[in-house]
Amino acid sequence: MGDPTLTIVGFEQPKAQRVRTSATARHRNDRIGEENVDRLQLSEQRLELAGAYSPTDRWTLSLMMPVVHRYVSAVNLAQADIWAPGDLEFRARAVVYRDRKFAPQHLVGLIGGLEFPTSSVERDAEGIPLPLEFQAGTGSWDPIVGASYTMFSDPWSVYLSSVGLFPTRGTANTKAGISFRQTALGQLQPWKFLAFQVGVELRIDQPGYIAGVRDPNTGGHITYGTLGIVALPHDKILLHITAAVPLIQRLDGAHEEGVGITGGLIYEI
Amino acid sequence: MRSEICIGAIALTLVLPNCTMVTDGIEVDVAYRAPATPQAVRTDMGYHVKLDRALIAVGRVELLECDNFARRLWGLFVPGRARAHEESTPTSLGVPMIIDLMESSGTPLFAGTLRPPPGRYCGIRVVSAPADADAIGSTPERTEMLKNSVLLEGVVEDSETGGEVPLRALIAELIRWDLQFDEPLVFDSPRSVSISLQIDHLGWFDGIDFAQFAVLDEGAAMQQRLTENIRSSLVAERL
Repeated sequence: MGDPTLTIVGFEQPKAQRVRTSATARHRNDRIGEENVDRLQLSEQRLELAGAYSPTDRWTLSLMMPVVHRYVSAVNLAQADIWAPGDLEFRARAVVYRDRKFAPQHLVGLIGGLEFPTSSVERDAEGIPLPLEFQAGTGSWDPIVGASYTMFSDPWSVYLSSVGLFPTRGTANTKAGISFRQTALGQLQPWKFLAFQVGVELRIDQPGYIAGVRDPNTGGHITYGTLGIVALPHDKILLHITAAVPLIQRLDGAHEEGVGITGGLIYEI
Repeated sequence: MRSEICIGAIALTLVLPNCTMVTDGIEVDVAYRAPATPQAVRTDMGYHVKLDRALIAVGRVELLECDNFARRLWGLFVPGRARAHEESTPTSLGVPMIIDLMESSGTPLFAGTLRPPPGRYCGIRVVSAPADADAIGSTPERTEMLKNSVLLEGVVEDSETGGEVPLRALIAELIRWDLQFDEPLVFDSPRSVSISLQIDHLGWFDGIDFAQFAVLDEGAAMQQRLTENIRSSLVAERL
């Protein structure tokens, strides 16, 4: 490996014929609706299995398939426990600028992708699709467009990405709003086998609509602060864990998001 | 080898069966029930009312929590939120519907299911108000119900003289019933109950002397009495 920087899938610099696989577990909590009125409490765990392949030094293609567990509880003590495959995601990342071919310090990339409606549709006893909160995926074809910038300056690295998600109509006649996601991450790698990350993740969502009627508890913006550790216990294995804490919540309606935890393993084939 | 591993991992997740377990929570089914309308309704003053049309528009049904001092106190400090139009919540149904009492036969007409949080509920509020154009039961023949809560049409037969007088009553005002349950509904765990809202429209004309009202003030007092009768004709019954 020419570049000693520890990078998780999606942040790496393309290297011809490089193949990486990963398993990532994510946990998050949401509270939607007014307390004692119509609140839904949602706890989600996802296992994302992904593979990334770089056919050249400029391109990386990746596929990610999540398996989703959702536990939803309503104010009337109703509960739903759902295990289902989520929406398959394909991404292509192209490096459009690098300051030099060998050990570049600056990389600018463009991102394009698509989320496929591979999740199953959960239905009630009458066969009517349940609301989106009870679904493992949106059930829509969602194009992804974005750009990224990476700077490597051993032992530091910086990663910036701006991604827009453009959902189409999905399950239960629901149309999620356009979502803009900004990530800014700084990494310090004092040792070859260990790096520390600190960053900010911002998300701005347009409101969503159900059967043409605005869902009042969608839309707005949220900013997370993130802290993470990346470790290299073996030449081919990378471990990482990140905690994301909401710093600014300006989500529309009654909607609160909780702390998110992400942990994973990357295997370089 | 590399690609086989990737494809295998992705394929594995794609073929994973999904599994959903849904546990129902607290549910309150609400239905209206009205007795069959006879050919002629005999009033307590001896008149026979033959109805051709009898419609009532119901707009909102809401479970009422038993008096909660702390919540009432909190309500004094927290301003209420205006709602542009009726909407359904776990304790209320905002689906407007027009009930044709001429078609009633004593069978329940399902209004919807409330899904309230745990608590003690002492009663139910029902509001009759002019319907929306997209209300359940709204038809081009019932456009009067877009401006009225109740419509009654028919004839009144005087049993003494045998004469018939046409009857047409339109009540535009909002009618609200706060009905108490015999015993509070106490929910502390998931369960389902049904509430029947009995509309006894056969007593709506009691106490009305049609001959007198027609002479005196062209029906305004009759309408007032009719409204009072309607107000006292609804009963909530737990099934």
